[in-house]
Amino acid sequence: MTKIAGIDLHMHSTVSDGSDTPEEILAKAKEAGLDLFALTDHDAIEGCKRIRDILTPGDPVFVNGVEFSCRDEDGKYHILGYDYDPESDYIKNVVRRGHEIRMNKARKRADFVVNELGCKIPEEEIERFLSLPNPGKPHLGNLLVKYGYARDKQQAIDEFINKAKTAREYVRPEFAIEGIKKAGGIPVLAHPVYGSGGELIMGDEMDQRLRKLISFGLEGVEAFYSEFSAKMRRQMVDFADRYSLYITAGSDYHGKNKMIALGDNGLSEVDNIFPGNMERFIRRVMHDGY
Amino acid sequence: MENINITLKGRIDSSNAPAIEQEIMAKIEDSSGAPVVIDMTDLEYISSAGLRVLLKVKKSNPDLKITNVSSEVYEILDMTGFTEMMNVEKAYKTVSVEGCEVIGIGANGTVYRIDNDTVVKAYNNADALEDIQHEREVARLALVLGLPTAISYDVVKVGDSYASVFELLNARSFTKLIIAEPDRLDWIAGEFVKLLKQIHSTVVPEGKLPSMKEKALDAAEFMRDYMPQDKYEKLVSLVKAVPESDHMVHGDYHTKNVMLQGDEVLLIDMDTLATGNPIFELAYMYNAFQGYSEYDHEQIMRFQGYDFETGTKFWHKVLSLYLGTDSDEKIREVEDKARILGYIRMIRGSIKRGGLDDTKKKEEIDMWMNELFELLDKTDSLLFTIDEIEVEATVENLKEVQAFIDEHLEKVDCPVKASMQISLAAEEIFVNIANYAYAPDKGNATVRIEVTKEPAVIITFVDQGVPYDPLAKEDPDVSLPADARKIGGLGIFLTKKTMDDVVYEYKDGSNILRMKKII
Repeated sequence: MTKIAGIDLHMHSTVSDGSDTPEEILAKAKEAGLDLFALTDHDAIEGCKRIRDILTPGDPVFVNGVEFSCRDEDGKYHILGYDYDPESDYIKNVVRRGHEIRMNKARKRADFVVNELGCKIPEEEIERFLSLPNPGKPHLGNLLVKYGYARDKQQAIDEFINKAKTAREYVRPEFAIEGIKKAGGIPVLAHPVYGSGGELIMGDEMDQRLRKLISFGLEGVEAFYSEFSAKMRRQMVDFADRYSLYITAGSDYHGKNKMIALGDNGLSEVDNIFPGNMERFIRRVMHDGY
Repeated sequence: MENINITLKGRIDSSNAPAIEQEIMAKIEDSSGAPVVIDMTDLEYISSAGLRVLLKVKKSNPDLKITNVSSEVYEILDMTGFTEMMNVEKAYKTVSVEGCEVIGIGANGTVYRIDNDTVVKAYNNADALEDIQHEREVARLALVLGLPTAISYDVVKVGDSYASVFELLNARSFTKLIIAEPDRLDWIAGEFVKLLKQIHSTVVPEGKLPSMKEKALDAAEFMRDYMPQDKYEKLVSLVKAVPESDHMVHGDYHTKNVMLQGDEVLLIDMDTLATGNPIFELAYMYNAFQGYSEYDHEQIMRFQGYDFETGTKFWHKVLSLYLGTDSDEKIREVEDKARILGYIRMIRGSIKRGGLDDTKKKEEIDMWMNELFELLDKTDSLLFTIDEIEVEATVENLKEVQAFIDEHLEKVDCPVKASMQISLAAEEIFVNIANYAYAPDKGNATVRIEVTKEPAVIITFVDQGVPYDPLAKEDPDVSLPADARKIGGLGIFLTKKTMDDVVYEYKDGSNILRMKKII
C-alpha cells in the first residue's frame, strides 16, 4: 500500500494557468516517480485528452480531471471532477458554461483596461489574449507590464484589472456536481479548508458547507493538499469518515506559476496514516483493481 | 551560521502575500540554509494566503522560527495547526516590578507581588524562557495527573529576563508551619507523607518526564575518578539494579516546596519532576533534612529556618509514616540505601563547584566519602518495600491491595497453599470494609503487613468506618445444602478457619482487624 503514496491528483497545465504543457506534466510525473496522477485544469478538459493520447504502457496511471470554480449565495468553491467520460455532453456542458463565463469576464476586463483606463495595448495582443484557451487575470496583467503600465503582474491585477466590474455570472456548485456525476465522474471538494483559495474554513462552518454540497451529490474531499497543516488534514480525514466521503491527495502544481512541487500532497508527512477512504477512491478510479 | 531575520508588519492577505513571498524567498536563496527567524511583533493579521507563505518558507527551511506573535495572530496559527508544525513563540507582555513587594528570593530568581492577587517569579538568567516553559509544561502534566499544584497562567518579560505569573497563594509553606506550630509536628508530617505517597503512586505516560535512574547513574559514573575501583563498581551495579519505573518522583521534596492553603496541601516547584523508583526521592530528601547539614549543623537553619534536631525528628517521622513501620531497624535500613544515592549527589555537586580546593569543603567531602564507603560495604540492594498502603475502600482497589500483599509474600517465599489462603482471607476482609464500613459514603482503608521471625505473616486492616466486629457474627451452618445457607458470613468463617489467629479491636475511632498466618 505504501508504494501508491506517489499520488498527485491536482495539477494545472498551460491549458489553464500552469506553465507546463500537458506533455511536460506527463514527463514530470514519470520523473517524480508518481504511480497515479490527474490533470485538473480550470474549467477545461482538453489537456487530459492530450496526455491520454501519448500514454504508453508502464506510465503512471492517469485519471481524467478538471477543476470548476463555483459559487453560490454562501460562498465560493472549487470542485474537482475525476474519472468522467470526456465524450459525455454533461461534462462538456459544464466546461462550456465555465468557459463562456470566463470569456465574458475576459472581454469585459480587456474592454475596461483599453477603453475606460485608456491603456494603449495593440489590438492583436488583445485578440491573442482572448483566443487563449482560458484567458485569465494573470495573462492580461502580463500585457499591462509588457506595455509599461504596471511594475509587475500583481500590481496590474490589484490596481487595474480588479477595478473592472464584471457581471455576477457563475457556475453553481450543484450544476458542476451534477454534470460530473452524469458524466460518470466523481465530484470532490478541492482544498476544502482554504475555500476557493483565500479563506480559512474549519469546524462548524466546514460542516455546514459539506452537508450542503453532499446534498448536491459531492462524493469526496481533498484532505491531503500541499499547503495543509497536519491539523487541517486530520480534520478533513475525520469529516470524510463521518460522511463516508472519498479522500484525494493533490499538490495544486502550476509549474513556474506557483511555488509548489509536483507530487507534494502532504501524504509523506510522518503523522499521516493512509486512510481507508483514499484507498476506496484509488480502487474506484483504477477500475481493474490493483 | 547567522540567522536570516525577517520582519513582518501590518496585514498579510492575498493582496500582498505574493510580493512578501518573493521577498522572503529571495533572502533565503541568498544565504544558503541559514535558519530563518520571522519577527511578527508588528503583524496584526494573517490570512490563509499569508499562512501559505509561511508553509513554503517552512518547506525550504525546516528550522523556521516565528517570534513575538501577538495573541490575535497566535490564535489563527493555533486554530489552523501551524503552531504544531513550526516553532512559534508568543509575544510576551512586559511587566515592571519596580517598587513591588519582594515575597521571596530563591536560587533561580525573585518572587514579587505585583498586585493584590498576583505574583511574578522573575528568573535571574536571561535565557530562562526554556526553564519557564519546562516548568509550566510539567506543572500542567502534574495537574492533569491529579496532583494539587499551582500553575503559572502566563509568562511575561521583566527587564531583559522572563517571569512566570501566578495567582497569589494565601498559603504557608510547611517550613513555616513547622516553625510556627511545633506541637503539630505529627499532623504536619502526616500531610507531608500523604502528598508524597500520592506523587509516588502517580503513573506518568511514557516519555513525558526524564528518568531519575539516568541522573543517578550519571552521578555514580562521575565518582569513577574519586573512589577505589571495587567500590566504584559496586556503586554502579547497585544503581543499575534499580528497575526503571513509570511512577512520578518530585525530585526536590522538602518542606519549602509543600504549601498549606486553607486545608489544601499544594506542591510547588515542579521543574525537577521525573519518573523513577522512590529510593531516588528519599535520597534527595535525606540530603535536604540531613546530608547538607551533617558537617555543619547550622546549614539547615540557613536553608529552612529550623534547627538540625527538628529536621532530624521530622525526617524520621516522615520516613516511619512513609514506610508504614515503627521499627527503627527497618527505617535505618531504608535510610542507609537513600544515603548512598544522597552522598554521591552531594559529593559530585561539591567537587563540581571546586570543593576540593577549599579546606572546609574538602573536609566535608571526605566525611561524606567515608560514610559512603562504609555504606557500600554493607549494602547489597537499593530496593526497599513499603509495609503499609492506604487506599480508598472500594472493590476496585482490591487488586492493588492484593498486589501489595503478593509482593511481600513472594519476598519471603511463602508456600503456595498458605499464600492462597492469605489472599482469600484478605479479599474477604477488604471487600467487607469496601461494602459496609463507610456506606453510603466513602473512606480509606489501611493495610499493613509484617513478616515475623516465627516465620509468620501478620496482616492488619484499619478503617475509620462504623464500629463493626465481623468476628462476632455467628458461624454459618455449613452442614446445610448450599442453597439453604444464609448469604454472608461464610467468608469470615473461612478466614477464621484458615488463619492461625484473627483478632478485632475498636480503638481511637478505628476498626482494627489483625490476622496471622504461620508459614
